[in-house]
Amino acid sequence: MTLGARRLLPGLALLLLAAWFVLPLVPLALWGLADRWSAPAVLPQEWGLSGVAEAAEQGAGSGVVGSLALGGLVAMLATPLGALAGRALASRHLPASVLVGAVLLSPLVVPPFVVAMGFDVLLLRLAVPAWAGVVLLLTVAALPYTTYVMRTAYGGYDQGFDDEARTLGASPRQVVRLVQVPVLTPALAAAAFLAFLVGWSDYVVTVLVGGGRLVTLPLLVASATSAVGNEAQVAALSLLAVLPPLALLLIVAAIGRRGRKVRA
Amino acid sequence: MNGYLRLTGVSLRYGPQQEPALDEVDLEVPAGSSVAILGPSGSGKSTLLRVAAGLEEPTAGSVTLDDVDLAGTAAENRGMAMVFQRPLLFPHLDVTDNVAFADRVRGVPRRAARRRAREFLELVQLAGFERRTPRSLSGGQEQRVALARALAAEPRVLLLDEPFSALDAGLREEMYELLDELRLRLSPTILLVTHDHREADALGDTVAVLDGGRLLQSGPMRQLYTRPASLAVSRLLGGRNEIAGEVRGGWHHSPLGVFRVATSVADGPGVLLIRQEAVELTGADADAVGTVVRVRRRGPRALVTVEVGGPDRPGTARVTAELGPGLQLEVGRDVGLRLPAEALAVVAGNARQDGVEADPVESVDDGQR
Repeated sequence: MTLGARRLLPGLALLLLAAWFVLPLVPLALWGLADRWSAPAVLPQEWGLSGVAEAAEQGAGSGVVGSLALGGLVAMLATPLGALAGRALASRHLPASVLVGAVLLSPLVVPPFVVAMGFDVLLLRLAVPAWAGVVLLLTVAALPYTTYVMRTAYGGYDQGFDDEARTLGASPRQVVRLVQVPVLTPALAAAAFLAFLVGWSDYVVTVLVGGGRLVTLPLLVASATSAVGNEAQVAALSLLAVLPPLALLLIVAAIGRRGRKVRA
Repeated sequence: MNGYLRLTGVSLRYGPQQEPALDEVDLEVPAGSSVAILGPSGSGKSTLLRVAAGLEEPTAGSVTLDDVDLAGTAAENRGMAMVFQRPLLFPHLDVTDNVAFADRVRGVPRRAARRRAREFLELVQLAGFERRTPRSLSGGQEQRVALARALAAEPRVLLLDEPFSALDAGLREEMYELLDELRLRLSPTILLVTHDHREADALGDTVAVLDGGRLLQSGPMRQLYTRPASLAVSRLLGGRNEIAGEVRGGWHHSPLGVFRVATSVADGPGVLLIRQEAVELTGADADAVGTVVRVRRRGPRALVTVEVGGPDRPGTARVTAELGPGLQLEVGRDVGLRLPAEALAVVAGNARQDGVEADPVESVDDGQR
């Protein structure tokens, strides 16, 4: 292989990979901007924003608000809990840490449908409000991700930082606030992002436990898909569902880069 | 900014079945002095520092600072700052904020804390590095920042846990000089641990030798070099000569000859110790005569091993001597040895490897690399 080819290949691979990710978005974007696009035509015959308008009419705005609130709440709950669990698992003082770790990761194994069906009745009997039940179950579903990320982060965290901070006069609380959290910010951001995605993209739990009172984007997308001739609206809603996580991903990546830059 | 640190009967056991990490250690660090704890890796020396700092609770004994018992006082309230072997600069803070950390946790406003931090950076000759990130510093610079950060906390005792052992020789010399200067200007009380007897000598007014959690001997380094209390101390200090023999009526008898015992040692087996630096190679006026069996280069100097003993004496003894720069000796040459009386020490007992020659220097130096 020549030197030129060797330099070219990784670039080519990257390009193909990018295409693989971007490709599904192309028809979505086209559909979102098409007022008429019938079968044999390669491109839409009429361009327009009627799909977007229909989506807005169907309550896309409140769907976005609902999804943001759900994702945000799940992230806010699952991240600190995952950090605590991750810290405990990373320390050597936890008895039966393998068992505890397995229990914390178990929501990945049990299908969400089963969990939702099982808990629905229980939550109804306990008179837990529907939205709170959804947040609760999704927080549990997000815990494996946040715990895993934070366990790895704490595993790589140098305990010496804490000792050093203590001898410099920092109380245990100050150590957490002024040293641990800032040093672990990239990991916390990544964990929060994953937890947010769990809430943002959930359908099953929201439908079963939320009972339709909690309107989120995935619910709107699903109901729009169930009817025929709604392609433009579905495309607009789907794009709406992709953009916020994409923006968040870029932010998280930036935080991670900053973290790597400051670390030796 | 200096306190009188005293450790009395400090013991630490991690479990009832386990060997104690520290076994009834008594240690005094007078205000403004520097005490070095010398020990191989696993000797418990870092643990001792952690106990003093309050990062580890002793199972028995007490730590007092200016006669105040520190039992139950949390690490953050002890007024001791520690510098570790790894610089442990907080990666999310720039150099100035690292040095300002102690002031910030005390509630000093950021601007004032940073101003003071700059003064300490000047003290460690790092003016101009204020806005750098820890990542952009070299190992030596990082350790200087760590030192400035500890000093800025104005500790009553400065604890140094092998702070320079990760640095190369040149940088280490620089840090020794820096620490000397800091001592002249601030006269902090310093308790430091090291596995390197040369570092202990360079930085400590007195040295305490620790092994297996027990304090073997303490005193000025000169005294430890010439009068080691045991073979273990002699070996930790890099002593190479251990000549097995017998003490009878205040004289040590061995294949090397008969030598007066300066300290009182009971009759019975005894090991004659003399530093390789103290052994003189001479043509005339020799205490013993032998043959060069080995020459090892050590920088400008060389280590020459001479075997003494012949038909008129039972057994042989090997003595290692340091040869001055520029001097040459080949294997097989006959040389005379002069063993100055003031450099001789005798400890009771048998040497482990038949007392001919121990080679502890390398093992001690490589202890914690």
